[in-house]
Amino acid sequence: MTVNKNMRILIVDDFSTMRRIIKNLLTDLGYTNTAEADDGSTALVALAQGNFDFVVTDWNMPGTTGIELLRAIRADERLKTLPVLMVTAESKREQIIEAAQAGVNGYVIKPFTAQTLEEKLGKIFERLGAAA
Amino acid sequence: MPSVAAPPSIEPPACDKSKARAALVERLHHALEALEKGDEAGWRRELDTIAAWRTQPMMHGLGRLARELAQTLGELPSAHDGSGELDDACARLDHVVEMTEKASHKTLDLAEHCRSLADQLKQTSLVDEQIALVDQIRSGLSELALAQDYQDLTGQIIRRVAGIVRRVHEGFAALGLPPPEKPRDANSGLAGPAVNGLDRSAFSQGDADDLLSGLGL
Repeated sequence: MTVNKNMRILIVDDFSTMRRIIKNLLTDLGYTNTAEADDGSTALVALAQGNFDFVVTDWNMPGTTGIELLRAIRADERLKTLPVLMVTAESKREQIIEAAQAGVNGYVIKPFTAQTLEEKLGKIFERLGAAA
Repeated sequence: MPSVAAPPSIEPPACDKSKARAALVERLHHALEALEKGDEAGWRRELDTIAAWRTQPMMHGLGRLARELAQTLGELPSAHDGSGELDDACARLDHVVEMTEKASHKTLDLAEHCRSLADQLKQTSLVDEQIALVDQIRSGLSELALAQDYQDLTGQIIRRVAGIVRRVHEGFAALGLPPPEKPRDANSGLAGPAVNGLDRSAFSQGDADDLLSGLGL
């Protein structure tokens, strides 16, 4: 499957430094069409307005958390098939399971390397390509 | 660190046990009499006294914990005279998060700028060896940017600790425990790095220069 590098990606994290780091990494990988949100509720507003193809979200955020955002996406008729990659410091087994059960497409634990991010993205696209 | 004494025993020592039992029996008799007479205030008072006997050691323990916590945190330099050390300590932690955030952004600015310079350099006529070096520089700059993730991770931990301290502080306040003793002035009044909005008496470099030139320096 050839990945559309022009896909629109929403980066959700309450720390502006982390949003910037992820944006930089995605740019390095060739994904330059990105936007940012600082928590789940602003992300949902952005998702309702823009045509996003992918979401990278943190879990622990004040306001609406990443897991709540994920559940809201899966519960929304128009958004439910949107791929979501969780990038979070939450590294407990139960949490990873919770995210998986909520329908996450990938899970990256902070701190992470550029290679890890690339691998997880690749894996998600591969699986989506196989399913399509 | 203040030495931690053994927690006060809930049970009285053996020699006091029979005395304590007698006192308890007496209280219970009074309570029963009051109840039979329909003296509601009376039996409630007796039961309250008995309940107080049970909770007193716990309240003492909590009071000591509160004082030790305030003392330990109070050893941090305080912006206000003695009051609200815990709030002040939390505000300082918040400030650390802001400072590291600013520093990280500055590092990211510089890393991005240098990466674009490396890209420009690659557009010029370079020999293979030079191109390989520019690529190495560029990848080093990417790693440098990624290493700024420490700000998010340490920030999350600091916010969590500040949250715990705030909740403990509120919990003790809600218990109505006696106010903690004045902190010992362990570090002879040195305030450490100034915190915006907290250290109103803090000097900027300009203030310091003005003062020094006023002193003939």
